[in-house]
Amino acid sequence: MAVKAMYDYDWPSRSAAEFYGDDQLVHVWFRGNVFFVSAQTFRFPKAMPFGELVGLCKGFFAADPDFVPDAMDSANWKVDGQPITPDLDRSLEENGVGHKSLVEFTL
Amino acid sequence: MTVPAQKPVRKLSMKQRYSALTHDLDWTPTYVTEEQVFPHTTFEGIKVHDWSKWDDPFRLTVEAYNKYQAEKDRRLYAVLDGFAQSQGQLGLTDARYMNAMKIFLQGIPIHEYDAHRNFAYLARYANGPGARFAALCQSLDELRHAQTEIHTLSHYNKHFDGMHDWHKWSDRVWYLSVPKSFFEDALTAGPFEWLIAIGFSFEYLLTNLLFVPFMSGAAFNGDLPTMTFGFSAQSDESRHMTLGLEAIKFMLEQDEDNLPIVQDWLDKWFWRGYRLISLVAGMMDYMLPKRVMSWKEAFELYFEEQMLGGLFKDLEYYGIKPPRHVDWAIGEKEILSHQVYWILYQYSHAAAFSTTIPDAEDQAWLEQAYPETWPVYRDTVWNKAQRVMDEGGRYFNPGLPQLCTVCQIPMGFTEPGDPLTQCQRQSVYEGERYDFCSDGCQWIFDREPVKYRQSWLPVHQIFQGNCGGPTLPDVAAWYGLQPGDGAEYLGSPDHQNWLAWHGQAPQEG
Ligand SMILES: [Fe+2]
Ligand SMILES: [Fe+2]
Ligand SMILES: [Zn+2]
Repeated sequence: MAVKAMYDYDWPSRSAAEFYGDDQLVHVWFRGNVFFVSAQTFRFPKAMPFGELVGLCKGFFAADPDFVPDAMDSANWKVDGQPITPDLDRSLEENGVGHKSLVEFTL
Repeated sequence: MTVPAQKPVRKLSMKQRYSALTHDLDWTPTYVTEEQVFPHTTFEGIKVHDWSKWDDPFRLTVEAYNKYQAEKDRRLYAVLDGFAQSQGQLGLTDARYMNAMKIFLQGIPIHEYDAHRNFAYLARYANGPGARFAALCQSLDELRHAQTEIHTLSHYNKHFDGMHDWHKWSDRVWYLSVPKSFFEDALTAGPFEWLIAIGFSFEYLLTNLLFVPFMSGAAFNGDLPTMTFGFSAQSDESRHMTLGLEAIKFMLEQDEDNLPIVQDWLDKWFWRGYRLISLVAGMMDYMLPKRVMSWKEAFELYFEEQMLGGLFKDLEYYGIKPPRHVDWAIGEKEILSHQVYWILYQYSHAAAFSTTIPDAEDQAWLEQAYPETWPVYRDTVWNKAQRVMDEGGRYFNPGLPQLCTVCQIPMGFTEPGDPLTQCQRQSVYEGERYDFCSDGCQWIFDREPVKYRQSWLPVHQIFQGNCGGPTLPDVAAWYGLQPGDGAEYLGSPDHQNWLAWHGQAPQEG
């Protein structure tokens, strides 16, 4: 529905991809662990290898004292709801991760 | 020539005076069209045939209004003076209580001022004199609320952290974007939508859930000034509720084509308002040293019983249905406060209030108030947070949360019936993805995507480099936070001072 206004109402997004240059926002969701109260938002280069994201997660989620970093190596992944087997050497973009995509994993 | 004997001057009755000094001052323009004088009341699609049908049951004149309000102000300021002279802050239940008032000061007075502005606008731009005059009174009330709230709480700023820069914070700090975006959403709508958003949904539907917890919380915790302010605002609030109800009935009675528009706004603003006051849920159940009632009890009494059971039965006559997504809200009543406080707990290092793990007494209260759901959160998150404390740490989330595009709250709300799986909703509009915490927020976005894609989401703005820099200290400096404003309560300056004032040894910080 168009916004009812006294003029042609059209304003751009304040979160558009163009604001982030070669980077993009990525939401990473540790499904099933509410110690992290919500998914986390990061700013990552589009060209960053997926494996680097896995490495960063190993450090980040260690804020949970029960987290076992190595378990990440056998995590199940989804991107925007679709199960994927990430290619760790290829970029986020090549693994289907776009601006504000939801990257979700379960252990 | 004889002069006829003059009749003795008869005083006008209240009702006649009201008419003479308000409605009778109105005139019909002849040099310009009505549309030129009141250009903003048609574009929303609301049809009005007879503005004189707008009833204003209070029949106040400016003179009477000023007299009542001056008297109330005198009483309030006498209490404030007495409290300051007797060092009343020492008689609070605990310094922890102040966290509730910090959130109140940071999140409310500035938007009372917004309400003042928009009702002043309605006092000029509504076509009918009844509506204009009621809006004028409310505009003055809201200005007075902003001023008296700030004045009331200013005493505490001399003794506690987290109160010094509320004005700047309300523009910048992440959780304060929640009320800010709510009010700016309403301010940028048309006059009729504003009346449904603020006049009806906020001031009528949800007002008891917002004000009663704060004001009775104040009474229970030794905060005489805030309690007195609450009483002083109460008679205003009953006028505001009446205006809200009059507004919705007026629209519905004027033309049956108005019904679907009004229902849509009601659906939207119920959910917007409900998400906003989830902050109150967290405050009620976790931040008051002495509780009044639980969020769940308040929701059942003030919303389910009084609104769904009472008000909506009356509105049925006009064809109005209970708000869309109301079942989702009912389904959350036993989990909402736990989830909100868990958000606040893990991000309070970037906030102007402090949090702490519920102590043994708090936990006993939570267990009896929420026998089904408290144990779930105790076992999954609080016991672990306690373990981190016991090992000399303090759990703060090391990153930034995914935010809902509409309510702007970190997406920590869960799927209906599943208290441990966060809800994820996404919409794609013109090739861009947007995230939502719930069906309610997603529905609001999908109605008006061009409005909400402009959301100034604090997390996205930090990542764009608009908030002082990329690190937490950069952002905290840009927010204007000082050490002691946020983080953990135990060992904080407020806590240390409190112990010292009461002759107890300070704890290890
Ligand atoms: Fe107010
Ligand atoms: Fe009000
Ligand atoms: Zn939301």
